[in-house]
Amino acid sequence: VTDTPWEPPLSGEEVEHLLGALERLRWTFRWKADGLSSDGLAARLGPSTLTLGGLLKHLATQEDYAATHKLTGSPMPSVWDDNGWDGDNDWEFTSAADDSPELLYALYDGAVARSRAAWAAFLDEGGIGRQVHVADVVGEPVNGRRVLCDLIEEYGRHTGQADLLREAVDGRVGEDPEPGWRPAPGWL
Amino acid sequence: MTTSADVPGPVELPVAGSEIDTLLGALDRNRRTFAWKVFGLPAEEMRRTLGPSTVTLAGLAKHVALVEDYYFSLGLGGVMPQPWRDVDFDADPDWDWHSAADDSPEELERLWNAAVGRSRAATAAFLASGSADSPVTWSERSEKPNLRRMLVDMVEEYARHTGHADLVRESIDGLVGEGLPPEEQAS
Repeated sequence: VTDTPWEPPLSGEEVEHLLGALERLRWTFRWKADGLSSDGLAARLGPSTLTLGGLLKHLATQEDYAATHKLTGSPMPSVWDDNGWDGDNDWEFTSAADDSPELLYALYDGAVARSRAAWAAFLDEGGIGRQVHVADVVGEPVNGRRVLCDLIEEYGRHTGQADLLREAVDGRVGEDPEPGWRPAPGWL
Repeated sequence: MTTSADVPGPVELPVAGSEIDTLLGALDRNRRTFAWKVFGLPAEEMRRTLGPSTVTLAGLAKHVALVEDYYFSLGLGGVMPQPWRDVDFDADPDWDWHSAADDSPEELERLWNAAVGRSRAATAAFLASGSADSPVTWSERSEKPNLRRMLVDMVEEYARHTGHADLVRESIDGLVGEGLPPEEQAS
């Protein structure tokens, strides 16, 4: 493993690049949200109600939602069963204010680990151009590459928001983490 | 948006399309959202900051116009257009961000639109004989990335900067939202 495991290949194949971009965003976002107290995770900037804690919880649901509901049709993981998740995006942002940093980081890290495994299994079974489960639900074809592209866009957007939130909390700025940075033991 | 016979228009993002149509469609959707968040305000509002960050909507517009030309006109076409070619970026590596404070909103929007038009033309020309697998024409690296890497990087670049614009714009006039409202999508 290199010092910068988040770097995508320079000239690889389609799946390596789409998964590579998603993976780099996971690392970058996690770095922007990392190592904060409840106050830091609940800090706001200007009139927006966004917080780093809310973004952690929101992206955790988005990871799990894409990897279950969209990809395979399996139910959301049990961690969402009894914590009040109601499918409404606002819930993640408002409820995160009552969660401990440990819980928020664990929710996000758990979702990333599950999502990595689910995408690997989906791609093993027939590649990125394959129809995803949600195609049947919405009644039109949707392939895996579109779901991945949407996830990359969503992550990029939220990481941009995290850039400004984090800079306001403690001045941390930058495009990527320092080489060698790790969020938690066993995260890779 | 101005279009002419030799400037290709935006690509619709397909739900079950090929690799190249999906990447180009995702990029164009990001361009649309970015422009919606960044433009349409008077000069003094485009120059406002939020919190300790120095990011402004004017700076974002000019920076992303530079990145468009750097990746597409230079990266695919091999030529860096003006106004960038004559700029001494060694003297000020953030010239795009700084100099944007002297530009009018109209100049910034024209600059960004022109860069996007050049990018679409350069992409179409490159794809006439190349594919997502083809190495780009010019790169600062010794090993050239393929077109696919460049397009995925651009989608990420746009999305991240649109995330910056989200918070800055909301603090200026309260505009929020993920994508353009349907009634504005036709323009």
